[in-house]
Amino acid sequence: MIGPSGAVFLLLFVAPFAFLFVVSFWRKKMFVLEPDFTLVNYSETLADYGWPLAFTLMIAFAIAVLTTVLAFLFAYAIRFHAGRYANALLFVTLITLFGGYLVKIYAWKTILGTEGILNSALLTLGIVDQPLTVFIYNPGAVVVTLTHFLLPLAVLPVFASLRGVREAGLEAARDLGAGATRVFRDIVVPQCLPGIMAAFTFSFLIAAGDYVTPRYVGGPYTSMIGDFIEGQFSLRFDWPAGAAMSFTILGAGLAIIALVRWALGALRPR
Amino acid sequence: MARIAWGAYSGIIVLFMLTPLVLVVLFSFTDNALTNFPINAFSLHWYRILDANPEFWKAFENSLKVSLGVTLISTVIGTMAAMVLARWRERLANAALLALAAPVTLPALVIGIALLVFFNKVGVPLSLATVIAGHLVITQPFVILIVYARMVNFDYAAVDSARDLGASPWRAFWTVTFPIVSSTVIGAALIALAISLDDFIITFFTIGGGNTLPTFVWGKVRTYLDPSINAIGTILITLTVGSTAIALWISRYRG
Repeated sequence: MIGPSGAVFLLLFVAPFAFLFVVSFWRKKMFVLEPDFTLVNYSETLADYGWPLAFTLMIAFAIAVLTTVLAFLFAYAIRFHAGRYANALLFVTLITLFGGYLVKIYAWKTILGTEGILNSALLTLGIVDQPLTVFIYNPGAVVVTLTHFLLPLAVLPVFASLRGVREAGLEAARDLGAGATRVFRDIVVPQCLPGIMAAFTFSFLIAAGDYVTPRYVGGPYTSMIGDFIEGQFSLRFDWPAGAAMSFTILGAGLAIIALVRWALGALRPR
Repeated sequence: MARIAWGAYSGIIVLFMLTPLVLVVLFSFTDNALTNFPINAFSLHWYRILDANPEFWKAFENSLKVSLGVTLISTVIGTMAAMVLARWRERLANAALLALAAPVTLPALVIGIALLVFFNKVGVPLSLATVIAGHLVITQPFVILIVYARMVNFDYAAVDSARDLGASPWRAFWTVTFPIVSSTVIGAALIALAISLDDFIITFFTIGGGNTLPTFVWGKVRTYLDPSINAIGTILITLTVGSTAIALWISRYRG
């Protein structure tokens, strides 16, 4: 009975992924893939796309930290402070989770653009007398758009782990003289570390692999690796190079996630 | 004081999550040539323009074919897998769930290009069928996780009684198990539907030719900001948010 699902997983995920890894060691010769075992695609990735790689990791890290912090505070509010509004807040989070990836990016483009909603509202209200161009086509617009897209995805795992935090434990700590900061750092955070890590991991990897957002709202100075990877498949047809770039960003991303996990683990009370 | 601060923060986050989607819906019902203030007049102008566009209807039809196919297949195979996993030892089941959920944590771009290269290698021509295959990779984990969470707390006593009284496993499933877990299964199916309808990246790499609604939107956004996108966006939001909301409603009130 688990057969069909197992087949989908193995045939449509594991096999293509493994094959892409193999292709990353091949060469492209005159539009034909040639089996080989060379690291040249990886060395070219580092030599030619060093800056986009570094920039992508930095902006994805910033987005993931921002998203995780906002998500944690929101989940915390739902869990401990929202009272009878808790279900409504959770409902808003869930319905925005699957609604319109492209539509959300398009919405931000129309909000932030020079002739967009924000500028027209500022003009109509007489706050500015000509449109501001600082809202769009810069890394900030990418951060806002991707944080908006990732936030519901990050709230859910954090909320799930906060559910396991019992008020009794917090009360006990307070009664024993622990301050708010101490309770938060030594009890709340360690207990929902798995949820925080899940939120960070989702946000970081998805942001690091995105190419649609930087292309729509990022402007010329936002060079993210996903944009170049997509180009290797739709424009240059250099699949081995695109494969090597994909595994480079995945490898670097997983290394950073491992580092963050280690650093957060050090927060555990001794 | 702290109460007000938490309330204000929650309010801001809700506004941040909802405002962009609300604006898309709002402007879809205006006749503005640009998506900005002031609003000229409310009208169905952009919906009429869409209605007159055969490419839109073709994309709509393709979206329905793909997402219904994906929903049907992923719900059946995901439910089957979840029922098996629920009877495994917990540690083994958790390890299997973690592996099966791996595709969801990876960027869709990597899954899309891996499928493109793989289909090309094994000689499968790209079509709506390959899009359906690609979507299964990301919808199946959600179905399995949702149904597993229900099945792991399932009381098998009633099923065992039915079997003792001579019902075949097939009959016991349809008369006992399924009626009990049907709301969860339908909820999982609607989540799969929403994910499939909304997917752009995997579709883009596996479709070959033609459009679904998201790739149709992509073609329009890339060229210029055509306000008819607001109307398509509203249709997509209605379908995805609607199916998610129904899924939640079903599982809350009867789950």
